[in-house]
Amino acid sequence: MSYSNESIAGLVRPDSVHKSVYTDPEIFQLEMDRIYGHAWIYAGHESQVPKVGDYHTTRIGDQDVIMVRGTDNKVHVLYNRCPHKGAMLVARGDGNAGKFFRCPYHAWTFKLDGSHLAAPIRRGFEGTRFDPASPEFSMRALARVENYRGFVFASQAAEGPSLSDFLGGVRSSIDNLCDRSPEGEVEVAGGVFKVMQPSNWKVFYENLHDTMHANVTHESSYTSAREQAEAYGSMPLELHIMDGNGEPYDFWEKLSLMAFDYGHGYMEGIFNPGAIETDPITRSHFESLEAAYGRERALAILGENRHNTIIYGSGSPHTVFQQFRVIRPISVDRTMVEIQTFRLKGAPEAIFKRGLMYANLINSPSSNVMPDDIELYGRCQQGNQTRGGDWVSQHRYAGTDKPIEGGMTSINGTSELPMRNQFQAWKQYMLGEI
Amino acid sequence: MLFDIDFDVSTDEKKDITVPLETHHRVQQFIYNEARLLDERQWQRWLDLWTEDGMYWIPQQHGQASPFDHISLCWDNGMLRELRMRTLENPRNWAQQPITHTSRVVGSVMIDGTDADGCLIVRSAFHLTEWRKDALRHMAGSYIHKLVAHDDSWRIRLKQVNLVNCDDVHGAIQVYL
Repeated sequence: MSYSNESIAGLVRPDSVHKSVYTDPEIFQLEMDRIYGHAWIYAGHESQVPKVGDYHTTRIGDQDVIMVRGTDNKVHVLYNRCPHKGAMLVARGDGNAGKFFRCPYHAWTFKLDGSHLAAPIRRGFEGTRFDPASPEFSMRALARVENYRGFVFASQAAEGPSLSDFLGGVRSSIDNLCDRSPEGEVEVAGGVFKVMQPSNWKVFYENLHDTMHANVTHESSYTSAREQAEAYGSMPLELHIMDGNGEPYDFWEKLSLMAFDYGHGYMEGIFNPGAIETDPITRSHFESLEAAYGRERALAILGENRHNTIIYGSGSPHTVFQQFRVIRPISVDRTMVEIQTFRLKGAPEAIFKRGLMYANLINSPSSNVMPDDIELYGRCQQGNQTRGGDWVSQHRYAGTDKPIEGGMTSINGTSELPMRNQFQAWKQYMLGEI
Repeated sequence: MLFDIDFDVSTDEKKDITVPLETHHRVQQFIYNEARLLDERQWQRWLDLWTEDGMYWIPQQHGQASPFDHISLCWDNGMLRELRMRTLENPRNWAQQPITHTSRVVGSVMIDGTDADGCLIVRSAFHLTEWRKDALRHMAGSYIHKLVAHDDSWRIRLKQVNLVNCDDVHGAIQVYL
């Protein structure tokens, strides 16, 4: 079918959504145009391209793009296409282009900002409409690129909110991640995992603040962690980060959930890696921050304990363990997640290693916890293909959300506010309202 | 515990040795048996093959020199190996309904030498077919075992799994490879 704005609007109710938003390839294609074609989407971190000519390829929605450090030292984001025959300029991956891009097909060259440099044997174009100054003969840049504290976002729309306004209430999560470095800067380090989920991209966003799933979906991993701790005689951090999912309902009910415009949000932290007083690694981290910022501010920075933050369309930073799960939709039923780990510049090396440990144990394909989620995402994808019903429920605490500046907050930590908020933004994007 | 230990993963600084044909045969049988125990999901017998400080490692990069400054697809000690076995056998492990079935072919077993601690360094090639639900998955690469003499057999100090596509996009890897 072809979707009118009216029929799209009818897919989202205040407390439920029609299952076709997860299963219909036509909806997916519309999302690529109307959400990923408009919103600010995270391309990568500038530390991934430290030197002039360094590039990193990635995807903005369904578009292959190149993030590159230009000769002006700015980071540019270009479509990965040569304007001559359309070949991808660089193979997927990371590398250094040198002083310019050179197409391996016919040696057309482009400056690092994408503008046309040269094509061999210029006389062959004499008397034609070929014009090196015309954008038609340059690599095309994405309409807008902005960098927030090293995090590079691109938008395919020429008009729209500034990146800072777009991030709104979750800008503070990026701030906190950077402020955890005594130098105020982070860098991607230690490699990037890539995990494929057999499910629609929105399922993962909904799961990130879904506190009611933790002690059900993850029952095998947290009970095993508890059994193992008993056998081992203590509960080291390695097991503690799996044990957290087993908190009882009243624990989750007390958490606070924040939901902001454009589908963003964050939730309060569910575990603290260690208290300043008792954990030597946290203590040394605190001391490095105290030296840089003073005691009060250092306490405030480490005291801001958030679990997953959601930047809708881009993914989920985790400030406490310095990760960013970047969510890349591949097709209506496949989603790739890139997991970046950050080094906090100037912080003790043990903090980085703790981040690596968290990445290995929680975000690696061989994590003991993640298969639980992937299994259930896949079951949602499959179950929603049946004729067993048309609507997906988001009723929990519907109608009770409290307005805050730029968004809403829940009255209960098990509220499905984050999902309702995401779909409110989804609907606005799909109807061209934002 | 995982990142602050003094553990030698190097396999290039090795001392050449010659072993009798019979020892080579027994090493092969040890490697085949280890693979078979995993295929048969005989977890406890598999756990018993390890030294107390043994580490299981799947690098995430080709030629990755260390698990200490870079992510790994897996870097598990004995505690985490036991944890995984508990998880795999837990009746409420929804991701093991149905369970994962595996079949391995291991070959090209070669004894490369000994490391600084005198561990035997054994290299082999493997092809693993994995079946769960609707997806048959193939994984391939090389194993490097570091073996410590124990009674008339060995214990595993290190099992390193070098996947040909270690830096690829992966679905969940639930069982040990």
